[in-house]
Amino acid sequence: MDSFWDEEATAETHRNAEWSKISSEFTTSGYREGITAGKESALQEGFDSGFADVGTPIGREVGMLRGTIAAIIAFLSSNLYSDKQESLLAEAQAIGSQLSKIRFSDIAPRDLEAEAHAREHLEMDSDEKMEENEELTAKRNMEGLEDMLARLSADSVAGSGERKLGMEDVKELKWMTGELCKRMGLKVQVESS
Amino acid sequence: MTDETFDETFDLESLIHLEQSFYDAGHSDGFAHGRIHGLIEGRALGREKGFEMWEELGYYEGFALMWQAIYLNQGKGEERAFHHVKHLLEFISQFPRVNPSSADTSADLDIPKLFRQIRSRYKALCSSLGVRPSLRASSEEQGKERSVEDELDAANQKPITKAVWKLEPSSSEEMSF
Repeated sequence: MDSFWDEEATAETHRNAEWSKISSEFTTSGYREGITAGKESALQEGFDSGFADVGTPIGREVGMLRGTIAAIIAFLSSNLYSDKQESLLAEAQAIGSQLSKIRFSDIAPRDLEAEAHAREHLEMDSDEKMEENEELTAKRNMEGLEDMLARLSADSVAGSGERKLGMEDVKELKWMTGELCKRMGLKVQVESS
Repeated sequence: MTDETFDETFDLESLIHLEQSFYDAGHSDGFAHGRIHGLIEGRALGREKGFEMWEELGYYEGFALMWQAIYLNQGKGEERAFHHVKHLLEFISQFPRVNPSSADTSADLDIPKLFRQIRSRYKALCSSLGVRPSLRASSEEQGKERSVEDELDAANQKPITKAVWKLEPSSSEEMSF
């Protein structure tokens, strides 16, 4: 009697196992291919929005400042500039060197959606990690290395610890450039239109 | 037993259908998740690319505007430099600020050509001013290396990078400076 029920039970479990195997097999393979398709469907859209909303305006702002200060430095060191005021040139060079330290990754706004989604992945503790584009990862690693070296040299030269430049610094440097132009008697629009 | 009656009424088509519906359910979940990843990764790439291009263009723009102001202020200077400034600013104003692939209106715009014109106009301005041009204007070789890397990436069964540049032909051409 016992064995009869056992057999029945085994067949039942077997069928259940088979069932869930089929369901999970097909669901999983659908999921996997869905991820790839979904990703490809959205890459361009994401690219375009990142390009137009973040990269372009910030790049233009930083680039214009750098170009402006480069022209000022060139002018102040040329013989076109008659009433030599060394202080102006020194100031322009100081602004220029600060501007050259600006890194996009330090001034770019956070991608909150990306951060939220990365957290979700952490919480789910799933096997699929948030992967990043290889080129960007390489760049990020390089910048991490730069930061480390900067900290090391800051430690050896006590007190001269250099902090990262953020968007506030860009604003300030822009203001300083504007002031410099005024003192040179120039009317120039440093604002990006 | 019940098993047999079940087997008789069970038709194969509905099994296939069942498999399909499991697959479809998985696919639509995956698709939604994939979209999030695509948007995130696309945004990261687009930000970098937009910054890279417009940092360079903005540099020329700021440089040209400043010299324009200096010349107007000094009331003197070389005529030719002023001419270069005017054309440089004109070219830059034509450059799209959204990814050209998404703006149909600028479909006939030759971005790589425009970029080349801007660079050489900038260099011409520099030489008329006697100023050493920024290294930005001589990054053609760098660009070439990059696009080769991209192709390697694509070959390395990396559908992600490949998809972006493939979907966006104008930008991949820009990479080949």
